[in-house]
Formats: sequence, structure tokens, C-alpha cells
Amino acid sequence: MTTVTVKLSRSNRIYRSSEAVEGKIVIKSPNSISHQAIRLSINGSVNLQVRGGSAGVIESFYGVIKPIQILKKTIEVRSSGRIPPGTTEIPFSVNLREPGESIAEKFYETFHGTNINIQYLLTADIPRGYLHKPLSATIEFIIESGRVDLPERPLPPEMVIFYITQDTQRHPLLPEIKTGGFRVTGKLATQCSLQDPLSGELTVEASSVPITSIDIHLLRVESIIVGERIVTETSLIQSTQIADGDVCRKMTLPIYVLLPRLLMCPSIFAGPFSVEFKVCITISFKSKLAKAQPKSDPTAPRLWMALERLPLELVRTKRDQFSC
Amino acid sequence: MEFDFRNRDYGADHESHLLPRSRTQNHPLSSPIASRQQQARTVRGSSDLDFFDPLMGLNASAEEKVEEEKDTSLSIEAVTQDLAREWKSLKRILMQHFPVSKVISFSPVSNVITKGSKVETPSAQPRLEETGSEQTSLEETAKVMDQQEYLAKVRELIDGITNAWQVEDRVTSLKLSIKVTKLLMDTTVLQFYPTVFVVVTDMLDMVGDMVWERIKEKAEHDVDGTLICTLSNNFQASDICLEARETCYNWFCKVGSVRELLPRIYLELAILPCWRFLVNQPREVLDRLVMMVRGLADPLASVYCRLYMVHRMQKLGFCNSGYLIKCIKDIEDILAPILVDKDGCSYITDDKKLLFNLMEPAIEYIMKCLLLTGRQENNVLGMLEELGFGKNKSQSSDNCTHVSILLHHLLKELPSELVSSQAMEILHMIKCSDDCSFSQVLNYRLLGIRLCEGRSQADFLSALISEVMQAASQYQTLYDYLRIMDAYVDLLLQNKMENHLDALLDNIVYLARDQFLSEEEQASLQSIILKLLSHFEDLQKVLSLNHFIEILDLMSGTSKKIVNMHLLNMGTRNGCICDSTTVQLLFEVSQGLYDATDFVNIKDDDNRQTSHLISRFVEMVDYGAERERQLLFLAECRGAFSGIHELKETLVRSSNTLAVKSLKAGKMHINFVKSCLAFSEVTIPSVTIPTKQLNLYLETAEVALLGGLISHSDGLVISAVECLEDVAPTDGLKSIDVDSMASVVCKLCSLLVMVPGNPEKGVMKILKSIFSATCSSSWAIPRLKVKILCAIISLLSTLSQDNLPYRSANPEIIGNDILFFGDSSYKNELVSWAQLVVGELVEAIEQESSQIARGNIALEACNYISSALIMNEKVSQLCLRLLETAKVCLGEKDRYLEATKQSLQL
Amino acid sequence: MVLVLALGDLHVPHRAADLPPKFKSMLVPGKIQHIICTGNLCIKEIHDYLKTICPDLHIVRGEFDEDARYPETKTLTIGQFKLGLCHGHQVIPWGDLESLAMLQRQLDVDILVTGHTHQFTAYKHEGGVVINPGSATGAYSSINQDVNPSFVLMDIDGLRVVVYVYELIDGEVKVDKIDFKKTSTSNSAP
Repeated sequence: MTTVTVKLSRSNRIYRSSEAVEGKIVIKSPNSISHQAIRLSINGSVNLQVRGGSAGVIESFYGVIKPIQILKKTIEVRSSGRIPPGTTEIPFSVNLREPGESIAEKFYETFHGTNINIQYLLTADIPRGYLHKPLSATIEFIIESGRVDLPERPLPPEMVIFYITQDTQRHPLLPEIKTGGFRVTGKLATQCSLQDPLSGELTVEASSVPITSIDIHLLRVESIIVGERIVTETSLIQSTQIADGDVCRKMTLPIYVLLPRLLMCPSIFAGPFSVEFKVCITISFKSKLAKAQPKSDPTAPRLWMALERLPLELVRTKRDQFSC
Repeated sequence: MEFDFRNRDYGADHESHLLPRSRTQNHPLSSPIASRQQQARTVRGSSDLDFFDPLMGLNASAEEKVEEEKDTSLSIEAVTQDLAREWKSLKRILMQHFPVSKVISFSPVSNVITKGSKVETPSAQPRLEETGSEQTSLEETAKVMDQQEYLAKVRELIDGITNAWQVEDRVTSLKLSIKVTKLLMDTTVLQFYPTVFVVVTDMLDMVGDMVWERIKEKAEHDVDGTLICTLSNNFQASDICLEARETCYNWFCKVGSVRELLPRIYLELAILPCWRFLVNQPREVLDRLVMMVRGLADPLASVYCRLYMVHRMQKLGFCNSGYLIKCIKDIEDILAPILVDKDGCSYITDDKKLLFNLMEPAIEYIMKCLLLTGRQENNVLGMLEELGFGKNKSQSSDNCTHVSILLHHLLKELPSELVSSQAMEILHMIKCSDDCSFSQVLNYRLLGIRLCEGRSQADFLSALISEVMQAASQYQTLYDYLRIMDAYVDLLLQNKMENHLDALLDNIVYLARDQFLSEEEQASLQSIILKLLSHFEDLQKVLSLNHFIEILDLMSGTSKKIVNMHLLNMGTRNGCICDSTTVQLLFEVSQGLYDATDFVNIKDDDNRQTSHLISRFVEMVDYGAERERQLLFLAECRGAFSGIHELKETLVRSSNTLAVKSLKAGKMHINFVKSCLAFSEVTIPSVTIPTKQLNLYLETAEVALLGGLISHSDGLVISAVECLEDVAPTDGLKSIDVDSMASVVCKLCSLLVMVPGNPEKGVMKILKSIFSATCSSSWAIPRLKVKILCAIISLLSTLSQDNLPYRSANPEIIGNDILFFGDSSYKNELVSWAQLVVGELVEAIEQESSQIARGNIALEACNYISSALIMNEKVSQLCLRLLETAKVCLGEKDRYLEATKQSLQL
Repeated sequence: MVLVLALGDLHVPHRAADLPPKFKSMLVPGKIQHIICTGNLCIKEIHDYLKTICPDLHIVRGEFDEDARYPETKTLTIGQFKLGLCHGHQVIPWGDLESLAMLQRQLDVDILVTGHTHQFTAYKHEGGVVINPGSATGAYSSINQDVNPSFVLMDIDGLRVVVYVYELIDGEVKVDKIDFKKTSTSNSAP
């Protein structure tokens, strides 16, 4: 059995768009194989889709929208010939951009969302004539922005101060919560480097009804232009509880969320699509109703919950000695 | 051919062999100055302390001070080691001290356990599922499970973690770790929490170590296993290659993605040391973690979480008092609502006591850690200020309240010099802190105990103790009062605060009026009394304290017994007891002890000690010249303590000593001497041990001889012999020490040298009785029989001399040498007895089964015979036969044999 | 130079309350290497006190000793000398040189220390030296109620022994010295 794999020089498979992607094609074969020219192709694209599943989006939108090509390149790494039996390694190095080409906006960072998928693939092809099935292997590599003008860490703190009270809520609350009142204050950095955790503080200053939980939810907002309309879908990436139970009043709690890789990328506002992020703070109060409620979207407004949504701008920053 | 006794001239022998002596001024013990200091150290009692060279004293305390200063600053390593040890013992305490009832019903969170250990595949989706998992399972009924079953399941899961790790399935490892950690979210069964905590944190420590090792491996070796670098113990983050850093950061990301707060914190704490691969100064990390724990509202869970945090900070090697102070302040804030009985704290009000009990070990450990760190940083005082010490001076009083359980453990760990210097401050804090987390009484008590440890200055003590006493008397119950003041008694005594002591005793009597003291009160009172007793050298000083006797009368039961024992011990340790009120008190004390003890049926160490103390008391009583009164006292004791066997001997010996004293005082007291002898004579039969009985008869006979009372001595000697004759039939042979029995018989023989023979009853009557008692006795084994027969031969030889070697000091006693001077029938009788005895002797030697013993007794007999008898043919044949026996048994080279031969001039 | 304290027949507390204070003040810890005691202490407290003077303590049993575990006789070797110990109430007649010499032969010792008579004596005979330190408290004896307290200190140095006799006479400690050398090496300790 003959196998082909592509191995990248970096185990984390992350490359800046300004860098060359390096690695080797590994062919393991019990006997010698003759082949036509071995080619390596690199493909980068933005795949967009609109799913009709969520909340009654018009069905006619359903379907795959034509992907946006970022990069397509093919190089020949070995001209036709024979590969000896055993393991053969063919090293390669591919520059992503053409010489002289500036690092354009087009190298969006890798992102796997619900509707938007920005993906970079590297494929090795070994065609062997008509008689034999061609051999091939594909691997995804991850692109991070390689711009020279990236901001440096730490980002200047841009804190948003928030107040959450019974009066800031736009949805109905249980009467005891509404009348008893509560006040939760805090601050959050709304511009955040992808290498840094989301950080801020939160304080329960008052609450007449006991609190059961306070959670920080990371949301992504994907928007796609379909025809003349913009289809936007918000989805939950991660929830992080910061208070479990009826915490002490006037005690500052830290907000600290490490941003999950691949699921998040720098906020993008491209022509045909955009990827944005939001933070949703939820405060759950003690209520019999809460227990009866089946599990569902934790950020949906409920009678026993208070919400606060804050925008979050994610930024790629320059690598420094402490970045990973 | 007949035997004939050798003539001896004892006087001449004595004179010719005396070593010449000469008076000397120089001798090894002649250096009084040097000796005095040393003596002071060892002689018991502390009264000699006054003789200490003052310069010496200063030196000694200066040395101690230097040591103490050294001690206050600790090395980080020492602190770490200390705390590692503490952690181990803490875990043991947690497992042991909170036993759980057999069946525990578990709340739904534990369904992690009951559901089994199926592992979901890692993807983005389960993360979302986890968020709502508890809500759904809330409806499920609580499962009932045995503790052992539960722990077995947990251990199964933990095994799963290691197994997965070994096959490099780290995702599964992590998933299972999270699952196990979630168990700590369940605090429904309070008593079980510590056990779960220990099991889970052990697992977390293990996982932490595995992750650490893995990242370290990545930092030191690349994928192919070639060495990149070797990390020293104090490596920098910059020494770590990108690959390893990334792996490390990934771990923090994975752990950080856990939705629930509690497991997220615990898991980060497990891999906390790994921050060192990423940053040099993890200050921000620790700051954040300390704050994150605040999000845990459950008091028990949050305190235990802090406990684990403090433990892991040690592991990280980056723990300063700042974090610990924040921790403690946060704990204070968490406890505050529980203390004020806030509504809606579901279980809290039900079982506060249990809750605080469960928290206590955790709080204790954190305080220990704080104080050790503070000492290592040399900043205990600054630390205290941060904790809010000393703020109450300027601020209003309600700001100075501290949660008493925290105050307690802080006070417990404070360096003693700080306790002394801050004592007033601490006292006020205790006063302000009266809540249900810890008994205020015990805090007052602890302050006293801690003050006793240090060298406290007397200047503030008086004011302090006044305040404490006032506070203590406000409790209105004797038990609380006693418990508090017990801790201060030593301070009162050491600093000679007589007024306070008087007030204390007054208060005790006042509070105890018309009451029957409970067992606890008795125990506290006992402790106070014992402190008084051990402080005062002299029993009379104690007795003269205010109300002391009244307070003694409050005691009963075991406490009374213990106090009585101490009183007796104290009364008897300083020599004679002459004061009649003291004698009276101690007599009553003894009676109390005697009445509370069953001497007849129970023979344990306790009773032995009691009887010993009472005997000692009787021995120590000395009425001086009032001898009649003393004899009366002895008679009284005999009646009062009739169950104590040991005392009988004491009574006899005391009465004998009394007789001798009386003899010394002059002849006119002879009637009193007779009373003493009569007392002894009547008392001796109740002594149970035959050897002792015999000894006492002999001593009394000796005293009678000193008094010139022949009829008494005759009677006593006859009683002694009768006693000897009675030894055989009794079955308690094992209780007789046969060696000392034989020794006493020998002594009797020596005594007979100076007892005038009674011509009416036959001169040899007593000797005859000894001989027959020995020959027929069951206890006299051949070796001892030979010894006694030899003694009889010696005695016969001695009695045959014209001048006896000694006589009683009383001139009225006429020795046999004068009594039977020139009486040939007397001498003939002695000779015929000698023949009889020698015959028996030779036979007895043959009976000895052990060869070596036979050889030795043959030589012994040979020595005695040759010493007693003139060496005629018959005697020398006898001796040669004995020597031959010895040679066969012991060999020719035996030194005893050689020496015997030499003495025989053979 | 080895200092050996020999004493016995204290009879505390029956015949005497304690050692005379003048003796006590002389007997300081650290000076004496061995204590040999002829028995009749009689109570444990005296045993404990002697231990504070010197932990190497050897005791034989007198007829009134509380502690029944003491042996009847004991031998020990100090330097070139073999010492034997026995209380002496078993000797017939008490204190008789010839009887003591027999005991000495039996124990095979250079110096025999015995008590019971409450009278200091030191004999030398063909078989060696016999010493009786008297009663350290001046307790009355079997034959006499007037006894001067006394004890003995032996300074053993090679083959030479200096015996110091401490006697309390009329409230004063009188010290006598006796000097002797070991003559027959044939009898030396193995």
C-alpha cells in the first residue's frame, strides 16, 4: 500500500501571510512507482453559506453562495520520473504572495464559523498515468495576518463601563426581580488582542433576589450579503461562568476568558461578508421557573435573567517573546 | 575424731588488717565554689535558683535571644518543606476527623459518578452541551450510594485518567479530570466534603505533575528526542522553546474553556506551576486566581478552594503574604453573612456548627501558611496591620470585629513575642469578636495560653488580666469562667499578682455557690488547682490561699482524686511534715483517696501509686519530741487505711524508728519503747509478704535488744522463726523471692550472735527450728540450703568463741560468751550440732543438679567449714572431697577453686 | 583517674529523712564517674537522686529495699580493678573479716564493698581490700543507735587507689585518706 502525506515544518501549522509555507511530501511505498510531475497546489478561499435553519430565514436564500477566492497557486516540485521503494521525502517551500505583491487585505485569517469558513489548504498530487489511481494528500494550514503594521501588545486599554439594573433590561423580568431591584457594574476591554484573554471586572453591588450564576458568553456575528440583503447570524462560541451562586455583594470578580483558537479571528469587514464578535453577560436569578426550563440558548432573554451585550473588537497583534 | 571449732580473736583480726587512715584537707569534692552552680541545676526544686550567678543568667538569656532572632526569619525552602509536611498531615486529618455516615444520598451533580464514565469525543459541540447540563439533571432523583461505593467509582475514574495519559490520549485524561473535579461542586453532604476534597486534589496534583513533566520534556527535547537544553531549577520563561510554550498555553486554553467556575479554577490550580514556562513573574495570574475564587458563593466550597490554591501557590514557589491576606479577608467576607443569620441561607442556619468544624482545618492551614510566609518575609507586623490589626484605636469599634474562628487561628500561629507585645490589642479584638464561628471563651483562653509561652512583661499584664477577669465573669457560668482563667493562672503566679489571685479564688467560690460541679467544671478546676500546686513549693503557702480549702471541697470524683494525689505528693516531697494542720489536711486527703479506691480487689498502677503516696505521707509525718502523739497517729493510720498492705511495713518501721529515737532521748522512756514494740508486734502479722514480715520481726527484735528488752526480743525472734516455718505450707511460693529469703535467714543467724540463749527453753531451740525449717522447706533449693547451712556452721563457730565479735549497744544485754562462759555442755552441744549440719550440708550439695552450681556450693561449703573448724584429719578429708567435687564440676583452672586452695594452704 | 562513689544504708525515709545537707552539697554532678551502692536506700527517690549525680549507678539489694530488682551481689571492673558489691546482712557474723574474705574469694574481686554495719571500715588482707562505707545518713544499725554518717570516694588511678572517707562528726565533715596499691597482679581483672 502506497501512502502520501504532507508534513508542515510547524506542528501548529500556523504561518503568517508574509512567510513561506515549508514542509515535505512523504511517500511510503513498498515498491518503486513511476509518476508524472509531482505538483503542489495551495488553495485559499472564503466559503459562505446561508442556512435556513435558524429562526425563519427566508428559504430562497438557502444554498451555497459562490466562494471567494483568496489564493490559488500550483507549483511543480518534481518532474516526472520514478520513486524508489521505501520512504521518500520531497521538501518544498512555497511563497504565498507573488514577489513584489504587497500584503493585501485579501489574506484573511483562518476562521471556522457557522456560515463563514476561511480556509487554506495545501494539496500534493502525484498523477501516475491512466493505469493507476493518482495519489494525493491534503492538509489545512492556518494563516495569521502577516502585515507589518500590526499593533504591538499590550493594546491600549479601551474599557467600556457597564451598569446592569432592572431598568436596563429590554425584556420582561419576574416581578420580584423587577421590584426588588439589582445593580451589577463592571468594565470590560472591548478591543482585545487575539493573543490576550478577554479581561475586565464585575461587581454585584446589590440584588434582592439571590443570584445563581453569572456567565460571560462569547458570541460571533457573521453577516453575508445575499443579493441586496444582509443575512446575519449570531452564534455562541463559549460560555464561561464567573460566579457560582449568590456571591458576596460589592466584591470585585475578574472577567477572564482565554479566546479559543480558530473559532475566533480578527474582526473582518469585507465587502461581501463580515465577522464580528460580541460579549454577552448574563445574570441568572434564583427562580423555580429556571429549573423547569429545558436547556436552550443561554443568551436568550428570560424572565429570571438579566443580560448585557457588549461589542468586542478582536485584533491581531505583533508577536512578542511571550506570545505563543 | 570429733570436730573442734577454730579459735578466733575478732578484735585482733580487726586491728591487724585495718588500713591506716590519715586526715586530709584535699579531696576530690573540695571545691565548693565550682560545685554550687552545678548543683543548682540538678537538685530538685527551684529554690536553689537564687544562687545563680547573675552574670550567668544574663548570658544565658542573651544566647536564647540570638537564637530566637535567627528563628524569626525563615528560608523559603524551610517554609516550603514545613508546609509540605503540614499538607500531608492536613489530608490525614480531613480523612479521619470527618467520618461519614454509611449511606449518603447524592445530589444530581454527582451523576458524573452514577452515570458512569463515558467520554464524549472532543469537539466544539459538547462544550455547548455542558453549559446546561445541570439544569436538565436537576429533576433526577438523588441516587443513594454507599460512601465506599462512591469512592471506588471515583478511583475508577482516576485510574481512567492515568490509563488514558499512558496511551497519550490526553484529551480523555483532561475530560475525566474535569469530570472528577466537578464532584467538588457538590456540598450537599457536608461531612463527606473533606474526603472528596482529598481524593480529588490528590488527583489534581497528579495531573498537574504529569502536565508539568510533559511540557518540561518538550522544552528539553525536540520531537526526535534530541536534547535542546537542560532546565535548571530556576529557569526563565525565555529558556523555553516555542513548541513547549505553545503546548503549555494550549493546556491553559483547554482548562480555561471549562464553563463551570469551580472546576475551571481547580484545574488551573493543578497546572499552576506550568505558568513558569510562560512568564517569569506570575503575579497577575495569582492576583486573578485569588479574585476568581470570590465567584464561588458556597462558603464551604470556596474555603476549600482557597485551601487548594494556597497549597498550589507553594508548589509554584511564588507565594507571598499579599495573596494570603487577600484570601483571608475574602474568607472573612464570605463568613460574615453566615454569622448574622441572613435569611435564605438554606442549610447554613441548620448546621452552622458542622460547617465551621469542616472549615476549621482549611482555615488553620491557610493561617499557618500566612504566618510562615510572614516570618520568612520578616514582615509579620506589617502583615497584621494589613489584616486590620491595630485599626480599632482610631476607628469606631464595630470596624474592629474579626470573625472569631479566623482570630483564633491567627492567634494560634502568631510568634509569641508578638502575642506579648500586642496582647492588649488582641484582647480587645477578642472582646469585639463574639460570633458563632468559634467560642469566644476559647479565644480568651488561647490568649492566656499563648502569653504563658512567651516572656511577657509584667507592666501591662496586670491591666490585661483585670480586663480578662471582668470579661470572664460576665459569662455568669462557672465553666466558662474556669476555662478562661485556667489559662491565666500561670501568668498570675509567675508575676506574683496576689491581688488577682485572691480575686480569682473569690470569684470561683462565688460562682460555684450552691452548685454541684459538672464533670467539665471539675476538670477545669482541677487544672487550676494543679497549677497552683505546682507553682508553690510549700504546701502551707497553698493552704493559706483565700478559700483554698473551700475550693477543694467543691471537687469530687476523679478530679478530686487527682488533686488529692498531687496534694499528697506535694506534702511529702519536701521532707518531714511537722505542722499539725497540714498533717490533719493531708490525713483527710489520704482518707478521701482511700475511700475512693478499692484496694482489696483492684491492684493496678493507679492504686499502687495511691497506696504509695499514702504510705509516704505516713512516713513523712514527724511530730518531733511529741513521740506519743506520733505513735497515736500511726495507730490512727493503721485503723484508717487498713486495706493498704504497703502501709503496714511503713507503720512498723516508723514505730521502730520512734522507739530508737526515744531510746536516744534517755532511759526514762522505756515504757514508751515498749508501746512502740507492742505496736510493731501487733502490726507485723498483717504484712502479707513473708520475707518482709521476717525482716520486720528482725528489725523489731534488734530495737528490743537496743532497748534491753530481752523478753520482747525473744518473743520477736520466736515469731520470726514461726514465720519462717510457715513459709513452706503456703502455696504462694512464686511470690517469694527465695534468694532474699535465704539472705534474711542468714541475717537471722547473724542476729542470733547477740541474742542471749534462753536456758529454760533450751539454748539451741531457735537454731534447731531454723535448721529443721530449712531442711524441710520447699522453697530452699539445694543452693540456698547450702547457703543457710553454711550460715549455721558459721554461727555455731562464732557462738563457741570466748569473745563474741559484737554485742548489742545496750549494756543490759549479756552475750552468750559471758552467759555460758566455761560451760562445756554448751560447747559440746554446739559441736554436735555442727556435725549434724555438716552431714546435711554434704547431702544438699549432692542434690544440686547443675554442675557449675554444685561446684560452686562445694567450694562455698569448703570455705565455711575450713573457716569454722580446726583442720583435723576428718575435716581435711571432708574438705578434700569437696574440692574434688568442685574440680570435677568446674575444672582445675577455676579461680574460686584456686583461691580456696590457697586459703587452705594446700 | 576515675572517681567512684561508694555509699549505702541510707534507710530513707524510715530511719533518716534525707542525706545530710553537707553531703548533698558536696555530691555534685559531673565529677563522679561511677556510683556503687551497698543497698538499703530504701525508696526510689534516692535512686533517682543518685542518678542525677552520676548516671552510672550500681546497686545491690539490702533487706529493706523497695526495688526488688537489685541483685544480691554484683561485680564490675573499673580500670585495673575488679570490684565486688554486697549489702552484708547475709554475712555471718556481720562485718567479720574472715567471712568477708570468703565472699571476696567467691566473687573473685580486688576490692569488696559491703555495708550493713553502718560503720566505716577498710581492711587489707591476703585476698585484697574490703571496704565498708558506713551509713550515708547515720541511720541506726542492728547493734547501735548512734551512728556517724559516712561515705567513701575512691580515686582509682592505674594500680593505685586513694580512698577518701567522708564522715560527719558533730556537724563537721571530716575527711580521711587511705592509700593502697594493688600488689598481686595475678588477681587482676581479666
